[in-house]
Amino acid sequence: MAELARTPATPPAAMGETESVSLWKEAWRRFRKNKIALVGAGIVLFFIIVALLAPWLAPYDYKEQQLAERLQPPSGEHWFGTDDFGRDIFSRVIYGARISLWVGFFSVLGSVVVGSLLGIIAGYYGRWIDGVISRLFDIMLAFPSILLAIGIVAVLGPSLQNALIAIAVINVPNFGRLIRSRVLSIKQEEYIMAAKAIGMSDWRILFHHILPNSLAPIIVQGTLAIATAIIEAAALGFLGLGAQPPNPEWGKMLSDAKDFLTQAPWTMIFPGLAIMLTVLGFNLMGDGLRDALDPRMKN
Amino acid sequence: MKRKTWFTWLALMLAVMLVLAGCGKSKQTAGGGGDKSSTQDTLVYGRGGDSVSLDPATVTDGESLKVTKNIFDTLLDYNDNDTSIKPALATEWTISNDGLTYTFKLRQGVKFHDGTEFNADAVVFNFERWANGNADKFPYYGSMFGGYKQDDSHVIKEVKALDKYTVQFVLKRPQAPFLKNLAMTPFAIASPEAVKKYGDKFGEHPVGTGPFVFKEWKRNERIVLEKNKDYWEKGYPKLNQLIFVSIPDNSARLNALLKGEIDIMEDLNPTDLKQVEGNKEFQIFKRPSMNVAYVGLTATRGPLKNKLVRQALNYAVDKKAIIDAFYAGQAEPAKNPMPPSIPGYNDAIQDYPFDLNKAKELLAKAGYPNGFEIELWAMPVPRPYMPDGQKIAEAIQANFAKIGVKAKIVTYEWATYLDKLAKGEADAFLLGWTGDNGDADNFLYALLDKDSIGSNNYTYFSNDELHDILVEAQTVSDENKRNELYKKAQEIIKEEAPWIPLVHSTPLLAGKANIQGFHPHPTGSDKFTKVEFR
Repeated sequence: MAELARTPATPPAAMGETESVSLWKEAWRRFRKNKIALVGAGIVLFFIIVALLAPWLAPYDYKEQQLAERLQPPSGEHWFGTDDFGRDIFSRVIYGARISLWVGFFSVLGSVVVGSLLGIIAGYYGRWIDGVISRLFDIMLAFPSILLAIGIVAVLGPSLQNALIAIAVINVPNFGRLIRSRVLSIKQEEYIMAAKAIGMSDWRILFHHILPNSLAPIIVQGTLAIATAIIEAAALGFLGLGAQPPNPEWGKMLSDAKDFLTQAPWTMIFPGLAIMLTVLGFNLMGDGLRDALDPRMKN
Repeated sequence: MKRKTWFTWLALMLAVMLVLAGCGKSKQTAGGGGDKSSTQDTLVYGRGGDSVSLDPATVTDGESLKVTKNIFDTLLDYNDNDTSIKPALATEWTISNDGLTYTFKLRQGVKFHDGTEFNADAVVFNFERWANGNADKFPYYGSMFGGYKQDDSHVIKEVKALDKYTVQFVLKRPQAPFLKNLAMTPFAIASPEAVKKYGDKFGEHPVGTGPFVFKEWKRNERIVLEKNKDYWEKGYPKLNQLIFVSIPDNSARLNALLKGEIDIMEDLNPTDLKQVEGNKEFQIFKRPSMNVAYVGLTATRGPLKNKLVRQALNYAVDKKAIIDAFYAGQAEPAKNPMPPSIPGYNDAIQDYPFDLNKAKELLAKAGYPNGFEIELWAMPVPRPYMPDGQKIAEAIQANFAKIGVKAKIVTYEWATYLDKLAKGEADAFLLGWTGDNGDADNFLYALLDKDSIGSNNYTYFSNDELHDILVEAQTVSDENKRNELYKKAQEIIKEEAPWIPLVHSTPLLAGKANIQGFHPHPTGSDKFTKVEFR
């Protein structure tokens, strides 16, 4: 009986796979044509490479203080100048890329995993489970997100790790809602009905059919969310709730620099530019991905 | 068509209302700001942190005392520029030959702000209240008068009212700085009626005899005091209102001064000195230096229990670089726990030089060749002895890292910070001290004697030899003998290294050019009785 049930289940699954391959190919073709999106991807790639090669690219140790050389303007020796501890800002911005990308990527990964799980459960099972989960999301979205993040860090204690957790938590409802709405529409599709009719398990339907078909919007939303997460991490760092000294987190560098705004503007300009560029990169790339992955753009 | 015009009108009205709402708000703030600078009898004093309590006997922090100094009076007071004694609530006094009996004649006709009369009974009431307390309730009393009623070391045997305006103190043993101690801001005479009425809440409803009457306190924002019209110093105070506002960020406070929102600012960043000096509308005040900033090394915690480790950390801090970078030269390196201006300072002591190899050597000898991890606590608010605790903590963190000591910088809200320190919860911590009476006793005994653990001895350093010397020094009245004892005490402290003494700073203040009669006092608490605008 079980054997019988499983055999007919194979064709729709196989069909789904061939369909998705062509979808990704098609998307890539469209993405390549989008010049602005390519620029965005280029910026992101650049910062990833910088982050990976930081120890080889940075001319100085990011935490090496030379108090005698504090607040030096940009020069051949220190390309971006030095901060008020006489540390090389160029090296710090390079190492800062590691922190920002790390926080951006992993916090979003966390919210995607948790958000998708909750969203799928809510959307697929409906009824009171949906009610509970959706209201939970509503409550979380009712808070200004940065306030919620500050609250979470205040409870957990200020550190980069906890800032990452806080950012992941505040982004969960965004992904949860997105997936829930996808699940609601996909579960009405005929192939899901068919899968149910032949007795396929809920687990298999969810993770082999519904989830893969919701991937495109997650990727788009995820890319854009990395940009926001980087800004949120910088904001927490600025407030002293994120990375702790001497870690060269960009937001923390900005907050250190604010006392020397007129005296040594370079202490603020370079970390500020770094934040702006990475966020811009992720946003451009995310927009490009949305255009590329939107099925309505197909024709 | 009709309906459309109706909508247009509605939209227009809404738009106008929105604009008006916006105007109302901005007008209000602008008016508030303009008000302060135009009326020349309100002085707004900008500082870095809020007070902990306005009951002066319950606190030891400067932010509380500088406010209560203006609400209360003490029996004796200090002269304008140093810590020599002048009469205040007591007009004259006699000391018995054995140095054990002090008799004070009190000022007559003085009233507390609540209308009750100041007399000998009020003085007795206050001293009884403190003596019956403990280190938790009245921390400073214990460290200045050798403990409390039940302690053998308690200096005061009894305080009695001989008549309505005569009060007598009988001591168990002579105490050389006794008069200076009585003049300290914490030992101000409060209205007995108000203390009974408000109980534990007296710190929020302070009632004294001082030049200004407490009006309101918005936590972390402002404390408003108003002129005491019946003040006993006739013709004073000159100001009608005195407002203390808290602006934690030094640059933000400077901006507030430049914009005219405040009239005097404390803790000017030494690096901003040039900016203010060049401006004719403002003047710089330099507070005579009577302070010390230090890194406390809690002697009861982890590796810091080991004397060699504490010495090693002393070798690892580059004080010169810190002074150049964060004090703009407005400080001198400290080698002792008290400043050179205090009698008894031991100038023969050689400071631990900045020597990383020596530091590593000592760490290895102590059994930590690869260093260890500790917490380094940094003050959340600027202090006169340390304008930016966070920055200095980062510099010291980098210094420590070079000998393998990984320090994690930790900070709390100011009141919590002091509270946790008093409980001995920190490993290494930044703090400092501004002398309150100009006596060596107020530094060495108050900060490092075992009797002061739980109040101002935050390092929990306890040394019996030092204790014996410090107690002896309290009872000796011969100035030279006392100084010898204090010099010996500083040798022990240097060897045992419960602190890394950092600097003695010259605190900078900036104010409007038309302020006169303001003389920053070395104790850090200023009486605004004679301050006025030209």
